[in-house]
Amino acid sequence: MVSRVTRLAERGAGRLPGIVVALTLVFLYTPVLVIGYLSLSPAGQPTIPIDAFSLRWYTAVLTDTRFIRALLTSLGIGVVTATGGTALGLAGAYVIVRSQLPQLARRSIAVIIALPLFVPTVVVAFGIGRASALVGLGYGYLPVILGHLFWVLPFTTFLIAARYAELDNRLSAAARDLGADDRTVFRTITVPLLWPALMASVLFAFALSFNEFLITFFLAGSSVTTVPLEIFGKVRIGATAFLNAASVLVIVVSAVAAGVASTLRRPV
Amino acid sequence: MSVANTPGRLRDWLVAGSPLLLALALGVFPLLTLFVESIGPGLGGENYAEVLSPLYRGALLYSIGVGVGVTAVCLVVAYPITYWIAHRCPDRYRLIALVSVTLPLWLNYVVLNYAWVWILARGGVVNRILVGTGLLDSSLDLLYNNISMGIGFVYIYLPYVVLTMYVSMERLDYQLIEAARDLGASDVRVFLDIVLPRTLPGAAAATLIVYARIAGAFATPEILGSPGNVMIARLVVQAFRQYTNYGFAAALSFVFLLLVLGTLGLGALSPRVRRELRQW
Repeated sequence: MVSRVTRLAERGAGRLPGIVVALTLVFLYTPVLVIGYLSLSPAGQPTIPIDAFSLRWYTAVLTDTRFIRALLTSLGIGVVTATGGTALGLAGAYVIVRSQLPQLARRSIAVIIALPLFVPTVVVAFGIGRASALVGLGYGYLPVILGHLFWVLPFTTFLIAARYAELDNRLSAAARDLGADDRTVFRTITVPLLWPALMASVLFAFALSFNEFLITFFLAGSSVTTVPLEIFGKVRIGATAFLNAASVLVIVVSAVAAGVASTLRRPV
Repeated sequence: MSVANTPGRLRDWLVAGSPLLLALALGVFPLLTLFVESIGPGLGGENYAEVLSPLYRGALLYSIGVGVGVTAVCLVVAYPITYWIAHRCPDRYRLIALVSVTLPLWLNYVVLNYAWVWILARGGVVNRILVGTGLLDSSLDLLYNNISMGIGFVYIYLPYVVLTMYVSMERLDYQLIEAARDLGASDVRVFLDIVLPRTLPGAAAATLIVYARIAGAFATPEILGSPGNVMIARLVVQAFRQYTNYGFAAALSFVFLLLVLGTLGLGALSPRVRRELRQW
């Protein structure tokens, strides 16, 4: 009897990982599918199941000037953050992985860059808000973009550093032996080899910035509105039908970035 | 150091300058600003005394508790997932499996949390199914409590934990597991003696990445949590938005930060974990 119970338990334990994966996929995708389904309802307060299918609320979202302005703002901030954050991340990765700086300096730089990972975001955001007021920068686009750059920096740095560490040093050494100066080596050897990581970093930083809420919430002031701020405001007033369609649009934008990035994951 | 290295080193400092300046200006300087504000006015400890009153002590402990609890749940769920993807999944499906499990990491957490309102609300999917199949007579209140908030948190942070842990799970040599099995070890023994110790750095890195953000979260408790249970972020946001009591909010932030770093503790300082984080 005992042995049978044990055997059953063992077999169960063997299948457990597969079952957990299946349940997790259901857990992760059900809410997204439900929102997609509800967004097609014409009703102002949709019920499950929905009465009819209509794209009415998508039209409403895409003709809403507030939402479009927020969308353009988010896209703009996202593009600036993605390119700037990747350039800074490349510099950070080089310093941490390849530079001639003393070990201690490299480690300290890595820890300082990683700061937003282990300091609670609300503390970071509040601190930046107060510091910005203190130095007279106030609120608006510039503080938001700086905040976003700071927020994505650890992600871009460590993403690029992982790839940088795998690069074969002998390729650069060979190019140098053939007479290439540092700049040429960087432009013709290092950057092309890092290209997949750089592109992945651009896309991930874009998604992080496009979806960032809390830092923007503290730094935007009244003149800047991004999509997450707009959506959070709508959640509070319970504008459900509008929110469903807007949510689907926001998910599509980030999912496209994720899709492109995942095709880059196969290294050269 | 040889003379030839000096210009290289100078150049390296210049390269380090831009990311370092950003991290110092937006990471270190704001923390110093908060610290100065928390002590003032007049170098009194009044702000800190207020933070440690029972009212705010409750909010501090609740935030830390939520952080620890949700992180633990994420780790427990991420173990079987990463194990399956790294060692059981057929090779050609591995990338797809990894991408599908980590896709929500790219999506907006405000949107994703809002989606859960539709699942858990009185007229939502779960209640529809339970009432529709006759399992229940009337709808349950599933929303705006610790459970719904916990679900919202796990939903957002599980993909981060999976992605971080996957690196060390993939590096785990499957032959070790097979060898242990051949010698008669049970699944439980294999997990405790081989899988757990070898993936601990990954779990620690994952904890480092999600724990502070969960404990200091604002949007998820606002959307899915109970209005009665106050987390620290709401107190800080209130103080900030109402343009009052900056000193108190700063002191609160600082005590909270110390608690978070304290609970992260020595694990974050170990070189093994740092190496793991860098590789990630």
